[in-house]
Amino acid sequence: MSVKIRFFARFRELLGTDIMTDVVAGTMFTSLITTIAKKNPEGYTAIFDEKGAFHEFVILMKNGKRIEIADAAKTPVADGDEIAVFPPVAGG
Amino acid sequence: MIVIQTDDVDIGALIIAAKKHGTGAVVVFDGIVRDDDITEMELEAYEDVATQELVKIADTATEKFRLLHVDIIHRIGRLTVGENILIIVVAAGHRDEAYAGSRFIIETIKAGVPIWKKELTKHGGRWVPGEHGHGKPKTS
Repeated sequence: MSVKIRFFARFRELLGTDIMTDVVAGTMFTSLITTIAKKNPEGYTAIFDEKGAFHEFVILMKNGKRIEIADAAKTPVADGDEIAVFPPVAGG
Repeated sequence: MIVIQTDDVDIGALIIAAKKHGTGAVVVFDGIVRDDDITEMELEAYEDVATQELVKIADTATEKFRLLHVDIIHRIGRLTVGENILIIVVAAGHRDEAYAGSRFIIETIKAGVPIWKKELTKHGGRWVPGEHGHGKPKTS
């Protein structure tokens, strides 16, 4: 099955965006992003702390809905999902 | 009109269109690229989600402050100093509601709508830090 990962702002610059990736059933949000982010050490440290947890300021979405960091490790991704990861917003 | 777009808008035309029956006040907020020793500003949005959230914010403000009309135009792309970034036009029966509604909309956008700004300088670029660490929309 395939999911789309979208990074924005600084995370996009470091890791790219609109990344289509194949995942196996049962893959969780956190493990998916960890795998993708590890492709660029700077991108990884922008998103994760030294213990491998999301920085508290990172914002997560699945199909346009917020996912709390505390829930991400047990949130599965499914075929066709759009996953978004981004830093604090600064519009206006 | 609730939209995220690259193009600028005619604010005068928006004001005219905002004057619905019963309007006693129109408030315009115009956020502008400030000359903070930058050359340009690059704006980026998670467009689908940001547009949905702008619509929700407009609906909430309309109900909460009895607004008669709301426009929110947030620009993205590369803008130069002095250009419009965000235009909010609200109409209400009285100034209190119009001012309060406009203020609510801009503060809620800043708190949670997925849009980012990068200031471009002669020496490179810097992302503008978000004002609220968790970026939770305050639409209630």
